[in-house]
Amino acid sequence: MRLSMRLAGRMTRPGSWGMPAPVGQALFVRAAVLLVAALILAPDPAVAQEPERDSIPTDVRVGIVYQPAFRPGIVMPPVAAPDELRDLADSTRTIILRDLDQSDHFQVMGVGEDVPLKGPVNYALWDQLGAVWLLIAAIEGPPDSPVLRLSLHDVVFKLLQEVQAFELPPLHHPDMRLALHIAADNVVGWATGSTGMAATKVAYVAEGPGGSEIYVVDSDGYGVRRLSNDSSIALSPAWSPSGDRIAFMSYKDGDPAIYGLSLNPGRSTLLIDLPGMDLTPAYSPDGTVLAFGSTVEGRTEIFTYDLTRRCCPERATFARYSNSLSPTFSPDGKRIAFNSDRLGQLHIFVKDMQNVSAELVTPYIYDRSVHNAGPDWSPKGDRIAFHGWVRGTAQIFTVAPNGRGLRQLTQTSRNEDPSWAPDGRHIVFSSTRSGSDGLWVLDVVSGRIRELVRGRAVRLPAWSGNLDSLSYTYPNPYPSNEAAVGSGSNNP
Amino acid sequence: MASIGRKNVGWLLGAIALTLVIAACGGGTPEAEPEPEPQVADTRDAAADSAARAAEAKRRAEAEEARRREAERDRVVTIATERVFFDFDKSNIRADAEPVLQRKVSVLREYPDITIRIEGNCDDRGSVEYNLALGQRRAEAVRRYLISYGLDTSRFTVISYGEERPLDRAQDEKAWAQNRRDDFVITNYGRLGAGD
Repeated sequence: MRLSMRLAGRMTRPGSWGMPAPVGQALFVRAAVLLVAALILAPDPAVAQEPERDSIPTDVRVGIVYQPAFRPGIVMPPVAAPDELRDLADSTRTIILRDLDQSDHFQVMGVGEDVPLKGPVNYALWDQLGAVWLLIAAIEGPPDSPVLRLSLHDVVFKLLQEVQAFELPPLHHPDMRLALHIAADNVVGWATGSTGMAATKVAYVAEGPGGSEIYVVDSDGYGVRRLSNDSSIALSPAWSPSGDRIAFMSYKDGDPAIYGLSLNPGRSTLLIDLPGMDLTPAYSPDGTVLAFGSTVEGRTEIFTYDLTRRCCPERATFARYSNSLSPTFSPDGKRIAFNSDRLGQLHIFVKDMQNVSAELVTPYIYDRSVHNAGPDWSPKGDRIAFHGWVRGTAQIFTVAPNGRGLRQLTQTSRNEDPSWAPDGRHIVFSSTRSGSDGLWVLDVVSGRIRELVRGRAVRLPAWSGNLDSLSYTYPNPYPSNEAAVGSGSNNP
Repeated sequence: MASIGRKNVGWLLGAIALTLVIAACGGGTPEAEPEPEPQVADTRDAAADSAARAAEAKRRAEAEEARRREAERDRVVTIATERVFFDFDKSNIRADAEPVLQRKVSVLREYPDITIRIEGNCDDRGSVEYNLALGQRRAEAVRRYLISYGLDTSRFTVISYGEERPLDRAQDEKAWAQNRRDDFVITNYGRLGAGD
């Protein structure tokens, strides 16, 4: 009874304007109702989503409603290691702590000099210091195949949550950072049950020496690398789900077409070149289909292309006098969200791949300069991020695929082209907020924001999936180094 | 500097002339011999003169023709490549663009072997990706207009550069209005010749 009243009230009265009771009381009632709703209805996903109308996930766990802003403290004492691995141990701690902080799941706590680290875990002490999680790390083994042993302790329940050994690449291997990010993502998973996003990369467009080129950067802002080398106009990078390929649009042969780029060694090859312009590629979640925009009688329509058979472009949108472009797949691959001006304003639409008709997702406002663009469907499926104009300036929004729960995430400067991290919680977008062009990462739960990269004409970011499955090549292929070492040992 | 130089040359020439006159007067010997030779020289000179005159006239006519061709070429290229501009987020032909396109139609009828690439461009306020589609429509709109006057489709190619090639990078309405445009690139000059 109370529940249905509350839900009805929410639907008809946006916000809490209609609440007659004093704020404190209203809050109490809300909290109580929320708790009841969560306990009763948590198994039913349709209703469980109802409290998330402003997209703040309410994490229900053992009957406790976690406040989104609450971040449990985690502490990681210095990493034990033999002398020859001391530097690696120090950078391991730096990298993992930064990853845990940037996951926005934890409050990273420092360790005082006087805290005794030897002997069995003193849960009472860590509890007293305010830590909820304790991460103990050690690095062992020879420098050419070090092993990182991580154990995560639940300080509150005084138990060992998880322990695992991670094989690391040889010292100074270019994949060392990725290996440590993977370890950090595992820690996030042990503590929260959901994937981290440290072992990911962001592809983007930036001004290169001879035009705009495709670049890539690690999730923590390290390892910026230029991938394309075409001295032309390169735009709209899109990751393959496996994370080893990027599709993008290029003018390098004059006629704009879709090209593919492998991360190693980074030479682009033609993927699709239909008559006219081909633009805005997007991989399906299973990696078998590429959706993209292409010219039909002077306008742009969305097509799909079978990547396994390498053939058969098929029309996916049918709007006779308007443009459809920038497709993005739902996680099950059955639907796409896309950008279209078919209503005379620029809007986000969702359509079933099997159906002809498309549904409007963003609100139609008469007599306004509406300009919604750059949709990206969350890998969790519940939200679509896009940018839309607020008084003529682009801001980042999210909306449910059924058009409900529109939420504005940015307010200052120009913010465009959002792309979701695989954790469905962080968004990377281009912004001029620092006074120059840059990419920024926003945690949609806490609102925390950080700059990822900065540079001239930096734009169109695309966040990769988790790169955890990328296997290193052991032993490290340093042919030149190995040869040098070999000849050195042969030479007296 | 140049004028001073020229003035100096004038002085120099004057001085030489003066010296010659003085020399002629000073050496006032009656050596003038009216001989028939000049007559022969005269006829020869007349023939050479008329030939030279003809050559000069031909040269002048050729120069005139070249100038005329150059002017015509300039006229055609100017008309063929004159930009047309668009309203924000629109791809319809504006009223002020019609006379520009009409001039193109007549020039392209006059020179049926000229081919043109129409390049659609946008200001940078809209989405980067949407602007690619919008630029394509702007190029296509002009192509359709030209074709509707009976010009052959095969003479035009279209491409969109979205917001990638602004004329003016400033962030104001004047700059944006300049950037919302179609550029025209002559891809085959035909009998106009590629020129320099």
